[in-house]
Amino acid sequence: MKKTIIDAHNVSKTYNEKMIPVKALQDVHLHIEEGEFVALVGPSGSGKSTLLNMIGGLDEPSSGTVFVDGVEITKLPENKLIDFRLENIGFVFQSFNLIPVLTSKENIGFVLQLQKVPKKDREKRVLELLQEVGLAEKINSRPGELSGGQQQRVAVARALASKPKIILADEPTANLDSKSAANLLDIMAKLNKEEKITFLFSTHDQRVIEKARRVITLVDGKVDSDIVQTPT
Amino acid sequence: MLVQIAWRNIWRNKTRSFVVIGSIVIGLWASIFILAFAWGLYKNNIDESVNRQLSHIQIHHPEFTHQQESKFVIEHSDSILSLLQKDDRVQAASARTITKGMITSPTTATGVTVYGISPAAEEKQIGLNENLIEGDYFESGKSNEIFIGEKLAKKLKIKLRSKVVVTFTDIESNMVSAAFRVGGIYRSRNLSLDEVNVYVQKQSLDNLLGLKPSESNELAILLKNESALDSFNSDVQLMVPHKKVEDWMDLSPELELVIESFHLYTYIITGIILLALTFGIVNTMLMSVLERIRELGMLMAIGLNKKKIFTMIMLETLFLTLIGCPVGLLVGWLSVLVLGSIGINIAIFSEGLASYGFSSIIYPALDSQNYWTVAIMCLITALLSAIYPAFRALQLNPAESIRKI
Repeated sequence: MKKTIIDAHNVSKTYNEKMIPVKALQDVHLHIEEGEFVALVGPSGSGKSTLLNMIGGLDEPSSGTVFVDGVEITKLPENKLIDFRLENIGFVFQSFNLIPVLTSKENIGFVLQLQKVPKKDREKRVLELLQEVGLAEKINSRPGELSGGQQQRVAVARALASKPKIILADEPTANLDSKSAANLLDIMAKLNKEEKITFLFSTHDQRVIEKARRVITLVDGKVDSDIVQTPT
Repeated sequence: MLVQIAWRNIWRNKTRSFVVIGSIVIGLWASIFILAFAWGLYKNNIDESVNRQLSHIQIHHPEFTHQQESKFVIEHSDSILSLLQKDDRVQAASARTITKGMITSPTTATGVTVYGISPAAEEKQIGLNENLIEGDYFESGKSNEIFIGEKLAKKLKIKLRSKVVVTFTDIESNMVSAAFRVGGIYRSRNLSLDEVNVYVQKQSLDNLLGLKPSESNELAILLKNESALDSFNSDVQLMVPHKKVEDWMDLSPELELVIESFHLYTYIITGIILLALTFGIVNTMLMSVLERIRELGMLMAIGLNKKKIFTMIMLETLFLTLIGCPVGLLVGWLSVLVLGSIGINIAIFSEGLASYGFSSIIYPALDSQNYWTVAIMCLITALLSAIYPAFRALQLNPAESIRKI
């Protein structure tokens, strides 16, 4: 039996936009097992990013609980939550993923440094990761010198740096051309398969949805459907 | 790594960083320059007072200080003077006879202080010879010459070679009137004193007052180096135990007040300039934080805790300050060095300044302690200014920050 890696119970989130309460999530239940490759789909404003933020501990639910790898992150104090994120969760955002003043090597190494990995091991791991995402030759390039697709690949490499159990990606291909998007997806799928990392990503992109083995659709902050499919 | 990120961050927007550095440089330079100018102004006044009026140390009969009557004399002042002149620490020493009196011209009369001086000995002290604008310095050898200030000459409506009558009381309390001829008209840097101080030969005044040549009302000693003041003061007190020995700060407490008020002035002026600097830094750093909301959100998401975010913003400001401070100090120091040697001519205000005893050429000067005070205040201000922007960064919620466009 596979281990449950993400377990969300009755998660609701209400934002107050100009004094008007907006229900971003309503009683969402989610159960994801280790090694899954899950796409979170739905129209804009359906609550995809909000749900990812709740699972990643970037935001607190208004009600409900979230367990990640058996830890109730909704109860963790801020400092412990930051450490938990650092050790267990990798993030890939739509944009503004990398620290603009650092090179690819330094961006990836930064997370390792936060984990106090010794310099020698750090350098070895950074090179491995860049090779894995096919950007070893861009080791000393700053984000401004990389294409959008290359930046996202560096972001994936950075998300992997701390050897997390989960990678949460919020519309990772939204700003990419189809070739870069396909390339990124292939890398993510490969990592999922070879390193058993759980991927949960929100997307609008049909090509990305087709690569997923499980597709969860959110509509108006509620789970509308949860389908297991065979990726193309 | 945090240090590296902060350092590189400040060079992302070079214009903005140079604005902050420039503000620090200008703030520091302005503080230093204003303080050096003010100190130059006061120091000039103090030096003038000490060198030309008070000397470092004065010796009087204890009663003379209170009653200013010529009968309270220092006996054997000639022997004391020769002893003093032999001391290595002494640059110049002179004996004076002093009386209050009334000077009368054909048109008007006014109260004056008459100084009986030894011309040669006073060249290094009162410096009347340097301040003469008309006439020669006791060169005629006549005993009835009087030297008066330009302002007093105007008041009395008299010229060089005019005749005046000076009336005072002698040591027996008899009224004495004596006719003098104006041998010279002087203009010192202290116009208020020019109006009341007149100078005649000591010997002449001694005769009129009924004093012996060995008697004087005042012994004035100018030292080679002011640092010897305290030790010299103690030695003189032992040498003339029954006389009143006072240094220039005792004689003119207002000068000491000037120095004290200058220190207060240092903090006020610097404070005002640095307050303006605060607003500049707060504004710029806040802009820098608000521009990077998404990036800061991302940093928090990938594991940078709030303490590190706060440290990063503070480091950015610290780096800008550490660049700006030495440059500001250097520019300030060079300005003071250059202008301190060539002087700043503020002749346009000279009339007004001279009436308060200030020179029209100011030589800015500042001691090293004041440089450090200003630099440290600048550093503290910059760091305090960064707290609010850094605090704003702490209030960011990573999820909300990332959502922001």
